[in-house]
Amino acid sequence: MKVVVTVKQVPATTAEKRYTADLRLDRGSAESVINPLDEYAIEQALRLQESAAVDTVAFLSMGPEPAAEALRRALAMGGDEAYLVTDDALAGADEWATAKVLAAALDKLAPDVALMGMASDDARGSLVPGAVAAIRGLPLLSYGAELALGDGVARIRRLTATGFDWVEAPLPVVASVTDQVGEPRYASLKGIMAAKRKQLETWSLADLGLDAASLRGAALTRVVEARPPEAKPPTERIENVGPDDAASRVADWLAARKLI
Amino acid sequence: MSNDVAFLAEFADGQPARSALELAAGAAELATAGGGQAVALCYGPGAGAGAAQLGAAGASRAIVLGDEEAPAITVAAPAAAAVKQLEPVALLAPASPNGRDLAAALVGLLELPAFGPVRAVAIKDGRLQAEQATLQGTVITTSEPADGAPQPAVVLVLANTFTPQEGGSGTAEVSDAPAVDGGAFGKARIAESHPAEEAVANLEEATVIVAGGRGVGSEAGFAPLEELATALGGAVGASRAAADAGWVPYQLQIGQTGKVVKPSLYMGIGISGAIQHRVGMQTAENVVAINKDPDAPIGEFADLFVVGDLFAIVPKLTEEIKRRKGR
Repeated sequence: MKVVVTVKQVPATTAEKRYTADLRLDRGSAESVINPLDEYAIEQALRLQESAAVDTVAFLSMGPEPAAEALRRALAMGGDEAYLVTDDALAGADEWATAKVLAAALDKLAPDVALMGMASDDARGSLVPGAVAAIRGLPLLSYGAELALGDGVARIRRLTATGFDWVEAPLPVVASVTDQVGEPRYASLKGIMAAKRKQLETWSLADLGLDAASLRGAALTRVVEARPPEAKPPTERIENVGPDDAASRVADWLAARKLI
Repeated sequence: MSNDVAFLAEFADGQPARSALELAAGAAELATAGGGQAVALCYGPGAGAGAAQLGAAGASRAIVLGDEEAPAITVAAPAAAAVKQLEPVALLAPASPNGRDLAAALVGLLELPAFGPVRAVAIKDGRLQAEQATLQGTVITTSEPADGAPQPAVVLVLANTFTPQEGGSGTAEVSDAPAVDGGAFGKARIAESHPAEEAVANLEEATVIVAGGRGVGSEAGFAPLEELATALGGAVGASRAAADAGWVPYQLQIGQTGKVVKPSLYMGIGISGAIQHRVGMQTAENVVAINKDPDAPIGEFADLFVVGDLFAIVPKLTEEIKRRKGR
């Protein structure tokens, strides 16, 4: 049983972001981390490997060359090998193009489960898992609070309106998990040393049998304007007053906005 | 190619979800401007029986993708067949897990451009324009489909972006989606179902949310928040810390990995306002925070920030609101 976890390198929440002249995020300029929600997918895969339900755990990323750093960090947490798809033609890739490239790489790696975080910190569309499943012609099990494997099927525990369901599909599948799978482990010093000896292979688009034309210029979408958010009026503060006074002033504030 | 605007309409027990009514209104508004129709793509238990009533909400037509108790993703293949036949200019999908799954499947199956969740959406000269907040809300972008991109543009829409039409009448013309094989997406099935005994509020539908965090301290600590929410005609939500602690069910969690909400009033009580929570509520129209820590991050983006003891203030506020409403 083989699991491939997709890992995206994203700007750290606290990082200062800059934009290129054509309105794309300058990914080289910001301090980068593994997308925090991908760490939960890594953790889920490693737990399955520890329970012997999975033999091999590999990591796959698409991004500029420095994204290899995110893969090394993943390998320091555990797992066996990693693959980076990097190509100048991929700058500014949108959800569809990203899914198309990841699908081609996953076809080559042929895992039983392609496992993903439920969203990326920077884009938050949550569309890549479903689009990858569509392109590969595989079932999708999404938003799992837990992933279980066995008897040729994968199962996820998924929240419903009031409780939860176990949803299953025959392997191979594309799956995504939430932050309920368990807190991601920290890389140990031993893990960091071991990661340096693990295989990290780099693929170009040509290695995947793709080219810029088959990706429609890497995007079906185009950003026509990027700007800072509208400045909000400063926060009004109520402090150093008793609870009666505070309550009365909050009620006044709500009434002034016709909220009560 | 048409100027129609399609939308995903989820049903439960034969009734459209609130998101379906909101998207019907949004699709009608966008379609009318371009001389097209709003077309509902209906799925979920009872969708077949309930589809026609979307006419009163703004839909001219309703196509039934499936109406069984099954994972929403299982209707992806009929959805793709219906969309291919319609070729609408845009397809609106609720930014819920089910809505995103179906939107993603369509993006992959039909090679479609995707946008959102959007803050605003318009159709200009037959081309969709989507405004969205990205990079944790630090940048606002306007995007459109690239030249030659296939139709429709797939658009994720947060709850409360559009207001359902009121007092509408009429029925939508109902038809079935083209009969196609369910494909790989059709293979997912519910193996076990564990509904909770008590109903849980649907936060995405609430226009007022009173959310509690770590500062609320316990399950019992949520009781005064419940009373305040009731007085305001709203629902109770929570931060991840409160859900992780087991004080409330995960269905009430607001944030990056919980619900993304857009109420007209959000009250954050005993919530510090970490970025992961903020991305789940930052589009609320009015944000009030109560926290004993004068330096809590929520104080930097709330509209009104009350520094004080929530256990003393919240019951007083509930009383005061009841008193004023009773007047």
